[in-house]
Amino acid sequence: MSRRILIVDDEDDIREVAQMSLEMVAGWEVIPARNGEEGLRLAAEHVPDAILLDVMMPVMDGPATALRLQDDPRTAGIPVILLTAKVQPADRRRFEGLSVAGVLAKPFDPMELANQVSSALGWRE
Amino acid sequence: MSAPAQPARVLVAGFEDGVASFLARQLRGVTVETAPDAAAARAQLSGGAWSLLLLDHEIPGGPGGVLDGAPALPPIFLCLPRGGGALDDGTLQARGVTRTFSHPIDRQALVREAAAVLGAEPVADTSADGGGAAPADALGEAVRKAWERFRGPVTARVDAIENAAIAVLEGRLTEEERRHAEREAHKLAGSVGTFGFAQGSRVAREVETLLQGSAPLGQAEALRLTDAAVALRRELARPPSPLTEMPRAAGGDTRPSRAQVRATPLLLVVDDDAELAERISMEASARAMRTRLARNVADARVAVADERPAAVLLNLSFEDGARHGLELLAELSAHSPRIPVVVLTGSGAFADRVEVARLGGVGFLQKPIAPQTAVDAVTGVLHLGQQRRSCVLAVDDDPVILDAVQRLLDPAGVEVHVLDNPERFWESLEEVCPDAVLLDIDMPRVSGIELCRVMRNDARWSATPVIFLTARTEAETVQRVFSAGADDYVAKPFVGPELVTRVTNRLERVQLHRALADSDPLTGVANRRRSDELMGQLMHLAVRNRQPFALALLDLDHFKLVNDRYGHGMGDEVLRRVARLLERGFRAEDVVARWGGEEFVVGMYGMDKEDAVRRLEAVLEQLRAEPFDLPGAEPLRVTFSAGIAQFPVDGDDLPALYRVADATLYQAKQAGRDRVIPAGWTADRPDRVTQLDVVVVEDDPALARLLLHALETRGYSSRWIADGREAAEALTGSRPELRARLVLLDVDLPGMDGHAVLRRLARDRVLERTRVIVLTVRAHEAEVVQALEEGAFDHVSKPFSIPILLQRIRRTMMA
Repeated sequence: MSRRILIVDDEDDIREVAQMSLEMVAGWEVIPARNGEEGLRLAAEHVPDAILLDVMMPVMDGPATALRLQDDPRTAGIPVILLTAKVQPADRRRFEGLSVAGVLAKPFDPMELANQVSSALGWRE
Repeated sequence: MSAPAQPARVLVAGFEDGVASFLARQLRGVTVETAPDAAAARAQLSGGAWSLLLLDHEIPGGPGGVLDGAPALPPIFLCLPRGGGALDDGTLQARGVTRTFSHPIDRQALVREAAAVLGAEPVADTSADGGGAAPADALGEAVRKAWERFRGPVTARVDAIENAAIAVLEGRLTEEERRHAEREAHKLAGSVGTFGFAQGSRVAREVETLLQGSAPLGQAEALRLTDAAVALRRELARPPSPLTEMPRAAGGDTRPSRAQVRATPLLLVVDDDAELAERISMEASARAMRTRLARNVADARVAVADERPAAVLLNLSFEDGARHGLELLAELSAHSPRIPVVVLTGSGAFADRVEVARLGGVGFLQKPIAPQTAVDAVTGVLHLGQQRRSCVLAVDDDPVILDAVQRLLDPAGVEVHVLDNPERFWESLEEVCPDAVLLDIDMPRVSGIELCRVMRNDARWSATPVIFLTARTEAETVQRVFSAGADDYVAKPFVGPELVTRVTNRLERVQLHRALADSDPLTGVANRRRSDELMGQLMHLAVRNRQPFALALLDLDHFKLVNDRYGHGMGDEVLRRVARLLERGFRAEDVVARWGGEEFVVGMYGMDKEDAVRRLEAVLEQLRAEPFDLPGAEPLRVTFSAGIAQFPVDGDDLPALYRVADATLYQAKQAGRDRVIPAGWTADRPDRVTQLDVVVVEDDPALARLLLHALETRGYSSRWIADGREAAEALTGSRPELRARLVLLDVDLPGMDGHAVLRRLARDRVLERTRVIVLTVRAHEAEVVQALEEGAFDHVSKPFSIPILLQRIRRTMMA
């Protein structure tokens, strides 16, 4: 089943590999966004099936972006998965306050990313 | 490969989705379906023909709900709970289970085994068939291409770590710089693993952890940052590992290469006694091991999943530790390859020892215990683990059996050589040099029993374990087998676990014996007997491949005084440290051995005397830089002297090389000790002038180390001299020992300061061929002017950033 995923990450390398990985392994359509602002705009415009959100981004970080997504009725229902290289105790508390569908660890294995996203969302591909 | 008429069908029952989709991706031409619970699995099994059932023991409704009274079933792979072993082999076989796995399931092994049963090919093996590349290959290629583009910008993040290291050294790290470096490390940690640098991610994560928070950073932290920066640059300069070899978060085979193990093995200490754990950790770091502490069994599991430790020290005597600890022990022993566990306990009861041994513990220590003893036990175990991969020769006229043996033993880390023609047995034996032999009894022309007798009659093979594979288990045959000199037998048709256990048991015994016979018990490096054997092999290789071979003999300086003044315990520690430094300083293929007393020998294949001198000098430098702490006294500084001989110029057999190296060592002692010299060296006339790009004259070892690494990673040959007078002497004279294109000269040096060195270089006209950049502490105008007047080409004031300094170096060399 074809899915549409929005990836929001400020690091070009990771965003590109994640995109390739989801496109080539799962055959999903991927919309890339470079920062939270752009992510919010593209989410409202395309209403993807899920959003992959990097935690550590300048200006508007992952959790802040997730909150804004939840506040917007157009995007509130889209499941969000956070991508993070390290869960700090303080972050953990912030994540708990957000209703995210999952938290995936970086670095990820490009072969496995689609799988991890599917299982976090309970998708059966 | 010929496509099967009907696609093979696999039912995956009771697993999370990932396993099914992984199988579907990795096996070409195979249909994979899933069933969430026993009832669904049952319904699906009765609806058509299946080629394989992959069943989770924890399936809702239970495995019985799937299997009990079911009509004809396909071969079954059963996945047992973590730690496994709940069912015995007989029960499994009776239920039609052909292979067991345990959680977390090793997906690579699963694909291999499934492919074998289905006659399908794993996708990764078909990468060469052109046309439509499988997604795994295409993605792998795309990621590699992406890395080519991103290597530059990603590697540039290491600059921030280097700059932070320098700033710490100079005591001027600002909060802003620290956070910047922490962020860059965080980004590296999160990204490079994705491109195939798992180790890089780990190193970056350590840096991030180190920089986190606001604890003050000192010299020790600066060194760790420096080493991490160097390790990262080196790692990122390598080609990335292919995706299929990336360690997986759960369960995959993350066997570290031998080189990694030697670099810095990780010891996981599971103990709630914080003080003992801390002391063990300090002791371990003195022996070049990293440690990670886990306060309880749950933390230990997280730690193991995060990075596979080289060994585990497990305390069973804490509250509730016994029960959970034993579970953990069983889990770790079930890892493939197994993680060696040394158990610490308050009780020395025999029953406890038996239980620990039964669950796979490799060492048993009783509290109270000195941290040193605990770490000794761990290093002993690690040395056993570093033995080469064991190999087995299997002889059977039935290729199906040989194939099965190979498939079963390979995942257990055993290399299997197969032979289906018993008449070629003797040649194969000589060729393979197996650690154990598996023999079929009934073969045409020559029987296994006869082969075994032949082996037992030859001294070389009389101790090699022989295990028979036999379909006949009546008393008479068994008796014949043992009287021919066999060690064990396995009944055919064999079940996997039995064969694997019997073979690995024998192999472990062989390795233990060999390790005891071959290694020096104090330091764990090879002993004299073993080193003679290995050196002989390297010499043969050198002759055959027309390569140089260098042999170094080294002897600790004034070692008797160490023993006399500080006791033999200290002496032993010094010997162990030297052995570790040597092991770290040389490649896995070099030979490092202790010849008794305070004498070591190193054999280096493919290296000439000059290379060998450089390598040993680096080790000597490290030894000088890390004095031994003594309570209430000046730290103890230890040095060694070494003599080096090279094949074939200094001798064309081992005894001749030993003689020359020994005479050269004597010369080194005469010339004042604390030095490494090549054969043919004379005190007043160095054999050859060493030409270098950069000589760094700097008394701060940490800063010097950072500079050297930065220079070397950018392709400059360089050398560090800590002392001004020594530098002046090496660079001047009618036949100077060193010639450099550029000298980085610290102004503030003990003894002879930078200005004096500079004047001396000017007087001896060294500045006509060598340019000097002066490193000044602060930009004191007067000092800079003075240096420039004395002949310096340029100056850089501390604190400086490595990239800027490198720019100045490049400019100076080009000018």
